[in-house]
Amino acid sequence: MSELDFVSPVASGALSASGGGIALEDLSDRSKVLVRAGRSTAAGTHLKVTYGHSRRRRDGTLICGSRPDEWTLIADPGQGAELLASLPDEGFVSVVDITHGRAMFRLSGPDSVDALAKVCNIDLADDMTPDGAVFSASVAKVTCDLVRSDVADRRTYLISCERSFGRFLFAAIADACAEFGIDVPEDISMH
Amino acid sequence: MSSNRLPIRGGELLDRSTNLSFTWNGRAYSGHEGDTIASALAAAGVEIFSRGMKYHRRRGILTANHWDPNLSVQVGDEPNVRAGSRRLVDGMQVSAQNVWPSLRWDLGAVNRLVGRYLSAGFYYKTFMRPQFLWHNLYQRVLRKFAPGGRVHWKTGTHGEYDKRYAHPDVLVAGGGPAGMAAALSAAEAGASVMLVEQEPELGGHLRWGGPDDLAVLADLNRAVHSTPGIEVLCDSIVTGRYDHNWVAVVQRNHEIAPERLIKARVGSLIVAPGLVERPYVFAGNDLPGVMLAGAVRRLINLWAVKPGNRAVVLSANSEGDAAVADLESAGVEVVAVLDARAGEDVVGARGRGRVTSVQTGDGRTLKADLLVTATGWTAPTSLLNMAGDRPVYDRIAARYFPQSLPDNVLVTGGIAGDGSTTELTAHGRETGSLAAQRALRLRHDRLTQTPRSATPDSALPAAIADNRIPLRRSPHPECYRSTTHGLVDYSEDVSSKDLIQATGEGFDSIELMKRYTTVTMGPGQGKLETVNAAAVLAEARAVEMADIGTTVWRPPFSPVSLGALAGRIFEPVRRSALQNWHETNGATNLLAGQWVRPDHYGDPMTEASNVRENVGIIDVTPLGKLDLRGPDVANLLDLVYVNRWQKLEVGRVRYGAMVAEDGVVSDDGVTGRLADSHYLMTTTSSGAAAVWEMLEDWLQTYRPDWEVHVTPVTGGLTSINVAGPRSRELLERLVENVDLSAGAFPYFSVRTGTVSGVQDCIIWRIGFTGELSYELHVPSGHALHVWESLLSNGSDLGVAPFGIEAQRILRLEKGHYIVGQDTDGLSKASTAGLGGLVKLDKADTIGLPELRAAFERTDLPVLVGLQPDDPMIVPDEACQIVEAGSNEILGRVTSSRMSPTLGRSVCLAQVDPSLASAGTAVTVQLVDGRRITATVQEHHAHVDPEGARQRV
Repeated sequence: MSELDFVSPVASGALSASGGGIALEDLSDRSKVLVRAGRSTAAGTHLKVTYGHSRRRRDGTLICGSRPDEWTLIADPGQGAELLASLPDEGFVSVVDITHGRAMFRLSGPDSVDALAKVCNIDLADDMTPDGAVFSASVAKVTCDLVRSDVADRRTYLISCERSFGRFLFAAIADACAEFGIDVPEDISMH
Repeated sequence: MSSNRLPIRGGELLDRSTNLSFTWNGRAYSGHEGDTIASALAAAGVEIFSRGMKYHRRRGILTANHWDPNLSVQVGDEPNVRAGSRRLVDGMQVSAQNVWPSLRWDLGAVNRLVGRYLSAGFYYKTFMRPQFLWHNLYQRVLRKFAPGGRVHWKTGTHGEYDKRYAHPDVLVAGGGPAGMAAALSAAEAGASVMLVEQEPELGGHLRWGGPDDLAVLADLNRAVHSTPGIEVLCDSIVTGRYDHNWVAVVQRNHEIAPERLIKARVGSLIVAPGLVERPYVFAGNDLPGVMLAGAVRRLINLWAVKPGNRAVVLSANSEGDAAVADLESAGVEVVAVLDARAGEDVVGARGRGRVTSVQTGDGRTLKADLLVTATGWTAPTSLLNMAGDRPVYDRIAARYFPQSLPDNVLVTGGIAGDGSTTELTAHGRETGSLAAQRALRLRHDRLTQTPRSATPDSALPAAIADNRIPLRRSPHPECYRSTTHGLVDYSEDVSSKDLIQATGEGFDSIELMKRYTTVTMGPGQGKLETVNAAAVLAEARAVEMADIGTTVWRPPFSPVSLGALAGRIFEPVRRSALQNWHETNGATNLLAGQWVRPDHYGDPMTEASNVRENVGIIDVTPLGKLDLRGPDVANLLDLVYVNRWQKLEVGRVRYGAMVAEDGVVSDDGVTGRLADSHYLMTTTSSGAAAVWEMLEDWLQTYRPDWEVHVTPVTGGLTSINVAGPRSRELLERLVENVDLSAGAFPYFSVRTGTVSGVQDCIIWRIGFTGELSYELHVPSGHALHVWESLLSNGSDLGVAPFGIEAQRILRLEKGHYIVGQDTDGLSKASTAGLGGLVKLDKADTIGLPELRAAFERTDLPVLVGLQPDDPMIVPDEACQIVEAGSNEILGRVTSSRMSPTLGRSVCLAQVDPSLASAGTAVTVQLVDGRRITATVQEHHAHVDPEGARQRV
């Protein structure tokens, strides 16, 4: 399937403030795999991440403890098959490729926390939501999974939602970012 | 125009290098940066700012701050702006409210001539009868007299309002010296702090104090702004405190929005609003030129405005004494100082349009244009009321004090007691430390209990006792009303005479009197009026103030604009991966729940006919889709569907209906078995989330031992229905590795294959439209490619897209019901045409007992196919089926359309069982009142009831 382009639910390219305080990018094409397994299964122990936390594997895959007995693996585009194959399947384990089912965005920069606080009611303070934290929350009234995954000390959030909400959610987050210097393109403006 | 602007004052807020132009009632004025609207006008000699609500008497400055009841003005298209605190902006267009034709010549003032008839309860007494006039006349006339400005909702130029969330450990409501000190000590203790002040600057009463006060304020300001962890919000107001310290803050004049609602979840709330100076009740107390001591001090010291030329001061406290000194320093001649502590009194103010003389309690008449009163304080305990407190009255201090508060709400400053600035800030610091310690303990608990959070880097902070030294309660004379009557409520024009009359009429509880007279119900929400009202009531009942009680202050603390409450409104919309294509190819959209979908592409009848004759494709992505895995999936399906699932083979698809525990049909769809332990379930579009939740609920509570994983995949799989006699021919051009022939891929089967190069597509053969059709479930990132391939490869076959409306026509022709449209909250499975599907002998199914009972009943409505005898009449959906000779309702039309295939109208209907037999004639009452006859059909299906077209 690699010869076919992945069509994202979001038509807009990356948006960023001129001062570098905040940036919003569409990462919907990233490979995403959902794993559900008991903690006692080989898959559960293999992932080595507890609920609410995340770690990055040597191959760059981000392993997120999304819910009790549930993990989400995020990797570069086109890695879905490899991710599926990388997991032990003994016992009662479900591994579902959700690449096409989840839109995903990266909100980064020092102002990202204030922008996110406009649309999400979770306490985003460093101790309550440290780098690596994984949680679910309503973002602009859309049910989302979020990961704080800082890059080189730059505060970064990965926000994913059901694909069909993707265009709306991207526009809503972009709207929240406008206060911090992002110019929202006319075609996704909420005003 | 005259100028009352004084030479530069030490603590003034003005930037005299600026010159801001604005208009007041159409006339040009100017002021300086730092001026309020009121101070700029007062400096220019304006004395009249508004008219009273009922009697339309002229009103001037009373308090010169946010609470001034006489300073509500219209600014551009924004009504009810507090001119006492709103800062002047260049270009403002300010006008008086609720006056006609002008502020100076207001026709409403004729009400004074009938004032004796406008007493307490006037509305209730006057507008009760005749009742029919209430809607036709009274309400309309009263609306004309309603106070307040005008909302230009069609032409308004306001920006959008905003909203954000916050989680400070400590929120301090009030930025006076005690509040600032509390914020500082809380931050020093390691707490995150939000400091909220309703005025544009911090400092409270220090701002208009002397050099010592200003020096303290400068120190506090420096400390607050240099201490990490304090977020300062000026020109903002805490409007409410709710359960679990959920605190609402409205931040005004933010750079991106006129107002922003902050929803704060707070560890500890410190209430430090200071005290509100209350007016004195006497004859003429609403004349322009009667001001509170705080008002003249603010006008002189903050905005360098000379409030008058000859002043009489009635003082019962140090604020009044300080006002005397300020007046003299501003060049105002202080004619007399009446010491209320020594029993001196004012009984009246006289003048036409402004005070010209003052009558003293000892019979003197003093020429003056300014009467200043300093008769005591009201503790604004609103936020404490909201935390469950019922403050108690202290007659020695002549004000109310907090009684009992939850641990997460603390008080400091004037509301807690009296003291010097040093004493107040010391109390503030102790309160801040205590609040921080309690909040940090709470935070520590949360850190240990929240999966995502960091491990606390320190042990649980030790609990510390509340060892604060209480602030003292200084004696103050109980000065509420003179020997004459005057206004108690300036906003509502309620006098002490009205209150005494209400008491005489039996409204002698404070809560009843409030509602009967509307006292304290104006925009100030009782900040100036509550204590005086209670005092007058106590006087009328000849009881102690403490026995009167108080009204209960509820949110909001101060009026909030509807825009702020609404904030940013998010209404999520769901779009399929093909929605952009639909919109660029002429689709007319339909909003179905949260989904935006193509209703049609121009002509739904033609689209439907094309499906019957050639082949059509429709985007049915909103169809709920759940990936089910595990060895117990069949058990789960047996539990939630009314039919059997244990023997469904791999590669087969089965229709299923769900009922709730009351036996009522709740959802339906088909489920296919993709592998031994892998199924794909579809649900109705609107029921997808509810079915998912229901499955999880049963799995997690009733059968946690079952091994089933449910994963919603609705948006991940774009669903395309390819329908029509040429659908197989079209798909054969695009599908790889799947034999589509009737023998190899029969009706109600499922296969997985590659479609137009896209792998892992799920194809199942079903027929909602009644035609040979296939439903493709395609990975959404490649769905557009498949959709466009279907169109480009089927042009010679007549392929065309069709929308929801065509699909509704087609399914109705076929007699397929829609849950929620053709069924309702009373439709049991047995009555929805599902009798043969339900297996009552199963060991367990949700709703099984109710289903068994329903099957024994013969009185339930039955879903039937129906055709009007006049084939050109299409009854509207929901038209009632009635007894021919009466209005007895015997059913209703649930679906109706003109059938392009039959050239006639077709319907589904719920009817009384006595009418359910084929061939029965029924009467349908149309929306316009006409009645037509229609005939019950043998089948639900109007087209191809045998199913020959879809089984080819």
